[in-house]
Amino acid sequence: MIFVTIGSMFPFDRLIRLMDQWAAAHPSEEILSQIGDGTYIPEHTPYERMMTPSAFRQTMDRASLIVAHAGMGSVISAAEIAKPIVLLPRRADLREHTTDHQLHTAAWLRDRDGIFVADTDQDLRVMIDKARAATLAHAELSPYAPEAFIRNVRDLVAASRSRRSSK
Amino acid sequence: MKVLAISSAGGHWVQLRRLKPAFAEFDTAYASVFPAYADDVKGHRFHTFDDVSRFHKERLLTVPFQLLKILLKERPQVVITTGSFPALICLVMAKYLFGSHTIWIDSIANCEQMSTSGRNARRFADVWLTQWEHLAAPDGPGYLGAVL
Repeated sequence: MIFVTIGSMFPFDRLIRLMDQWAAAHPSEEILSQIGDGTYIPEHTPYERMMTPSAFRQTMDRASLIVAHAGMGSVISAAEIAKPIVLLPRRADLREHTTDHQLHTAAWLRDRDGIFVADTDQDLRVMIDKARAATLAHAELSPYAPEAFIRNVRDLVAASRSRRSSK
Repeated sequence: MKVLAISSAGGHWVQLRRLKPAFAEFDTAYASVFPAYADDVKGHRFHTFDDVSRFHKERLLTVPFQLLKILLKERPQVVITTGSFPALICLVMAKYLFGSHTIWIDSIANCEQMSTSGRNARRFADVWLTQWEHLAAPDGPGYLGAVL
């Protein structure tokens, strides 16, 4: 199953439309699209607007491939269960997001194991093919931040206690 | 120690979730956009507010009241966030109305420059952090690591 997800904040009709076209050309593939507040309704894939975290996790678990916007929620969630993910970054000039930071995120993540970045609409199906052909051996990402950062953040919070009591 | 850990939905929340062990020993409440996120922080108080962005400016009128209600209930000594615009509003109110210690950790998604809210948080955050070493500067933002 291929899980298409556009995150929780803004619609992303461009990706949903592209994947609907892809679904029409691949009728034997099972696809589920999470479309948010999008106005484009997919004709060739079942869809959900928003999912609870547990439904989202179950769907991610069931998927063999994730196709998503270049949002950190999608990227981290896929990495935590070591699933391949194809990213189509949102563009500010198309009013898909308020800034172009998803292009920056995609550029940063491009060479990581299990991450396949589509730079253009045409690129999307190429990257899907690549992702499906790849045999992935990368490990699951721990569900928590690296220990050193956890310790630093904990210390910051604890330090504000002493600051206050010294006032 | 009363801590309020707050962020909007999606990637900001996923990053906050990755920091959960850092808040384990404190009396921590969480706040975000979707009620179902309560499942991610079982055993903690959880509050919700609406998301605001430059695409949803009309909510600027209601969201501060929602955040104020959360702050009145929690009266946190520390407010910590992984970013987003509503979290910035919360930080400002917490600092000036409740004297909270405020900690801003800019989202890891902002790898070329701090987010707009992140740049604006400079004046209101007692601790002002980026998750990118190359964006850190001697006069801030600081860098203490990243959620990945």
